[in-house]
Amino acid sequence: MSVDQQNSSTNDMDEKPPVFKSWQGWYLFLIGTLSLFILLFYLFTQAFS
Amino acid sequence: MNTIDWIVLFGTLVLIVAYGVWKTRGSKDMESYLRGSDDVKWWTIGLSIMATQASAITFLSTPGQAYTDGMRFVQFYFGLPIAMIIISVFFLPIYYKLKVYTAYEYLESRFDMKTRMLAALIFLVQRGLAAGITIYAPSIILSSLLGWDLAITNIIIGVLVIIYTVSGGTKAVTQTQKQQMAVMMGGMVVAGVLVITSLPESVGFTDALHIAGKMDKLNVVNFEFDLSDRYNFWSGITGAVFLFLSYFGTDQSQVQRYLSGKSLSESRLGLMMNGLLKVPMQFVILFIGAMVFVFYQYNEPPIFFNDNVNESIVKTDSAAVYDSLEVRYTEVFTEKRTAIDKLVEEVHNGNEADIRSAQLEVNKLQAESDTLRKRAKEVIEATLPNVESNDKDYIFMHFVVNNLPQGIIGLLFAVMFSAAMSSTSSELNALGSTSTIDFYKRAINPKASDQTYLKSSRLFTLGWGVLAIIFASTLSLFENLIQAVNLIGSLFYPIVLGIFIVAFFFKGIKSNAVFIGAIISQALIGLVHYLNVEEMAGPLTMGYLWYNAFGCFLVIVISALLQLILNDGNKKGA
Repeated sequence: MSVDQQNSSTNDMDEKPPVFKSWQGWYLFLIGTLSLFILLFYLFTQAFS
Repeated sequence: MNTIDWIVLFGTLVLIVAYGVWKTRGSKDMESYLRGSDDVKWWTIGLSIMATQASAITFLSTPGQAYTDGMRFVQFYFGLPIAMIIISVFFLPIYYKLKVYTAYEYLESRFDMKTRMLAALIFLVQRGLAAGITIYAPSIILSSLLGWDLAITNIIIGVLVIIYTVSGGTKAVTQTQKQQMAVMMGGMVVAGVLVITSLPESVGFTDALHIAGKMDKLNVVNFEFDLSDRYNFWSGITGAVFLFLSYFGTDQSQVQRYLSGKSLSESRLGLMMNGLLKVPMQFVILFIGAMVFVFYQYNEPPIFFNDNVNESIVKTDSAAVYDSLEVRYTEVFTEKRTAIDKLVEEVHNGNEADIRSAQLEVNKLQAESDTLRKRAKEVIEATLPNVESNDKDYIFMHFVVNNLPQGIIGLLFAVMFSAAMSSTSSELNALGSTSTIDFYKRAINPKASDQTYLKSSRLFTLGWGVLAIIFASTLSLFENLIQAVNLIGSLFYPIVLGIFIVAFFFKGIKSNAVFIGAIISQALIGLVHYLNVEEMAGPLTMGYLWYNAFGCFLVIVISALLQLILNDGNKKGA
């Protein structure tokens, strides 16, 4: 099996994730949470420095 | 340590080992031994991934890191969620589709056998070394605190892990890591609550935050770009991404954790869980260290946190010098405590100029205190050259042993042993799997029975366990244990990651080019590290975390150039 075939056939294995409509939703949620943490940490650093 | 502590410590460890052996008594074929029970849920995968990464070093070193250097180390983990997404999108589906036991099997289907072997060999060397450190790191500290012989402590940790890892394989590792994570998280939360409640009644939680913050211990985020600065926002979201991509995407000790999932979705969710929880978890551990720092602003700390060294130095000719440093250290502590009271008072009053003035006075005294600690270390180094002069890794457990109640001390020691066992078991499991699948089955005995491979997996796991114990017993001392592990990873990981990146995204690059490119890149990374250590790197001066991006880049560029040359050569020859 070539790598191209592997890549295309892996799409068939994708199951619908819980909570979000697609995995992209999960990835955006993760990036959003990380951004929120960084913002909170920045405010935390500034508040007590 | 009293009787209750010993009961808590040994009760916890024996129960976990017994549970692991009992729960996996049915592992009788290679599939279940190497891949697990195939019905593992996402949260078990997530816990297993986190437990594998959270070694005893994490819990011993990290609070000490915050005590001495503040909380900025948390920025190192900003790259982790990004790496989880990349692995979830690109790595995981291919591993699942090919139904691989090890990550390196994929490289043979993409390139050839020698490239697979090279990556597997780099993993065995790197992870074999790290397994020794994973046992040694807590042993050196725990043996000192418990008054045990170092070799005995190495053997206790190693043998406990070997018992259930050899017996039950991947399933035993995954199942025991749930209990170990519960002990680790529970113990650290209890320690965090107790350190805050141990502060004087006059010092509220907000006061403690102001003290830590104004003494530069709550320096969580720094956006200034500086290549030589090891921990800032930019190194976290760039250099560290490469390290985490390598570790979670290509290191078999992690790949084996999420390949044990019931389905691709369960594995992906396990990675998402790790991405969501790791940053706050590290923040909490560092925050505990910052609160321990505040505690020691009101309770005089020793000038050096390893009591055994303090006892040794007073029996030498340097006792008088050391004693004079301790006397001055106590005087500075008393002055500083008064200055801190003044700082808290000014914070309550709210006048910025007065707060700033009080803060400068506190930090001036803290600088003197730090200088005295540094001089004490110099005296130790000169007088006792074979003794570790860095006490960062002793700070947290020194606080635990001297200030927490009975039973809780035992629980915190159980946290450290559990953490050591959880990461070591994943390492031995992965080393055994890679030795069997990528070398024994692929190159030595390809047509043997399933039972033969099961037996060889157990023997390899046992062998790596014994080697790790021996290696742990012969290691010398590192400046900081968590940095030692990250340094070893940063020297080897980028090459393996580079091979995988080429495999996924540069389809025109073939096996010979990537194989030679990887070997050249490994040599160059070794050279760059040597030049940095010797301070002769010039424009290549960089913190070791940047090796991850640089090494990966080298593999891609050199492989691409070699591919062009090889293609050209083929055309000329044709």
